[in-house]
Amino acid sequence: MDNIQFIDLNATTALILFLVGFVGGMVSGFIGSGGAFVLTPAMMSMGVPGVVAVASNMAHKFPKALVGAYKRNKYGQVDVKLGIIMGIFAEGGVLFGKHVMVDIREAFGAAGTNLYVSLVFVVVLGIVGLLVLRDGLREKRGESVDKAPKQLNPLVRWVRGLYIPGTMIYFKSMDAKVSFLVLVPLGFATGLLAATIAVGGFIGVPAMMYVLGLPALVASATELVIAFVMGLGGSFFYALDGFVDIRLSMIILAGSLFGIQIGAIGTTYVKDYVVKFVMAVIMLLVLVSRFFYIPGYLSELGAVEQLAAETVRLLDVIGEGTLAFALILGAVMILQALYQGMREHRLAEAVATLPETALAGAGAPAGVFLNAASTPFAAPAASASPLLSPLGRFERFLVASDGSQFSAAAVREAIAMARKCGSEVHVMSLVATGVEHEGLGEAILKQEMDMAQAYLEQVREQAAAAQVACETHLIHGQTVDQEIVDLADHLKADVIVMGRRGRRGLARMMLGHATAQVIGRAHCNVLVVPRAAKVEGRHIVLATDGSRFAETAAITAASLARFCQAKITVISVIKPSYGVERRVEAEQAVERVVVHMNSEGISAEATVLDGHPAEIIAGVAREKNADLIVTGSHGRTGLERVLLGSTSERILNETPCAVLVVKAS
Amino acid sequence: MSLLTAVSRRSPRALVTTVVLGVTSAGLYLLLFLFSDMLLELAAATRRGEKLAALVPVAIAMIFSFVHGAFTGHFWDLLGLRAKK
Repeated sequence: MDNIQFIDLNATTALILFLVGFVGGMVSGFIGSGGAFVLTPAMMSMGVPGVVAVASNMAHKFPKALVGAYKRNKYGQVDVKLGIIMGIFAEGGVLFGKHVMVDIREAFGAAGTNLYVSLVFVVVLGIVGLLVLRDGLREKRGESVDKAPKQLNPLVRWVRGLYIPGTMIYFKSMDAKVSFLVLVPLGFATGLLAATIAVGGFIGVPAMMYVLGLPALVASATELVIAFVMGLGGSFFYALDGFVDIRLSMIILAGSLFGIQIGAIGTTYVKDYVVKFVMAVIMLLVLVSRFFYIPGYLSELGAVEQLAAETVRLLDVIGEGTLAFALILGAVMILQALYQGMREHRLAEAVATLPETALAGAGAPAGVFLNAASTPFAAPAASASPLLSPLGRFERFLVASDGSQFSAAAVREAIAMARKCGSEVHVMSLVATGVEHEGLGEAILKQEMDMAQAYLEQVREQAAAAQVACETHLIHGQTVDQEIVDLADHLKADVIVMGRRGRRGLARMMLGHATAQVIGRAHCNVLVVPRAAKVEGRHIVLATDGSRFAETAAITAASLARFCQAKITVISVIKPSYGVERRVEAEQAVERVVVHMNSEGISAEATVLDGHPAEIIAGVAREKNADLIVTGSHGRTGLERVLLGSTSERILNETPCAVLVVKAS
Repeated sequence: MSLLTAVSRRSPRALVTTVVLGVTSAGLYLLLFLFSDMLLELAAATRRGEKLAALVPVAIAMIFSFVHGAFTGHFWDLLGLRAKK
């Protein structure tokens, strides 16, 4: 098997591969399925053996699927259990498919696998391409093809009603038990197709939708888990036989990751049928290009009369030309659709911006949606507050919510606090855009948008019931924390209110999370509200280390205590290893704060304790039945945060009560 | 809106992150080209029976995907190319 020929890589081939990857990625992002049906034939046209093209393609796809699956799981769209089980069965299909390829290669040589891959392409692209074209035409005529079924189809009902003792597994996405025996053929077929043409999703996604009854959103997200599991295994199995040309995989990846973003963004600017037309055109042209190679393969295998070398070469050139035409046409159609869509969108926004700017501020109507990308941020109207200093001011709350149970408390408390303070509340929800949009089409993205919008509407009603002025913001973006901080800056928010997820320890350190990142980056205060916390103004614990950050926290805590008529415990914690000098400094620091509080008419007590700051502060809060801990922030992010740590974050880990992290202005 | 305007509207942090990721990604690709012969030799060695070498392409794929994926995401974002609401 040592006769595999990897192609020579020079600047020209690398550039072509990069461009092919770019267009393939763009197609991928635009039409919502792997661009392998473009990439595999393109590689084969460059002289890469079929088996190497499939293997190298698979190696560039699976890590992208992992990134996508991880991100979508954060939005609760992935059925991880189903994905893993299907992925394992798909692995069987991959193994079988790979053996078929290897056997064909050993029996008939490279021409055999090339012919096999080409024939499967012709069949699959023919069927899928025509179906997509039919859907596109029907949609253009105004017939909806994406109507949500009123009830499950008979096949789904049969599958869910099937009871085979000892094989039933519960899946949360279906809220039903399904026999894993049903998943065997679905997973196997997905893997078999993936091992043959590196696009398993053509079977996996429809199977989950029409056989298991999953919504399109969940099916496409779960498909990413399957793609990762089978792609990882498949790449490894192919690599075991030395079929993966990692140079090709990585060059294609380089272009593909640039293209995929453009394609995915493009879907948000065009109508659904446009996506389907582009998809069908590219698929059918790629199919046609494969036809021109088949006589050459058949001739090489001796299945037909020997063709003259010039004839084979001519057919190859026509095939390559057709493929190049398909790619260029696809790229032009996508870029044109994107340009046109963006232009129209910008014009529409220019019209919409005027009244929006005029109305921004306390009296603005609810439901003003902003696009972080292209809407110029208009400065909010000047505050009518009697407080001139931004310190301790709570007039404008920005609640960052993902609609999950973790952020429900943040929304609830922000509205309650805003009602008490007479403040306005801005609620933002973020719809992610990025690599994970591989496997997503416009329809699916729209579902996600609708869900986020419905959620924001629900919050707006909640605020209206509490007679609190509320604006909602639906934001697109890739980096959650950056979007939150940007919006807070734009709105000149006094405090960002967020929920807290339960992640601890190494995972937090390695991955960070939005709350920790926002604390590090925000220019305004951040209030973190755990799920069970209620901020009622019973008792405030103020943590101080005598720094300027702590001084700012003290002024803010005083402002809150005055408003809520709450008592304050001012605490400084020193580590046992510290000397007497540090203890004296700490005692002086808390005393200074207490004197200031008392002079403001606030009831405050001082305490200096030994131990680990976070544990001690959380312990005192528990003991005092406090409902709010106020602390300053040194604003560390990135490596500095990893190395030096953040006391605010550790306090968040230790306490069930709300924590207000005050930023020094 | 020109590209320069789009870039200047983003925070300096976003620019720094993009540049750092871009340089890291370029460095990885430089290494890939410098060691491409070794990678071909590894694939040949796998075919000769040194199966552990099969882990190398899998690991390379993971690392490149994360670094370059993060870079491209930030890159377009920096240029103001974002999804419509």
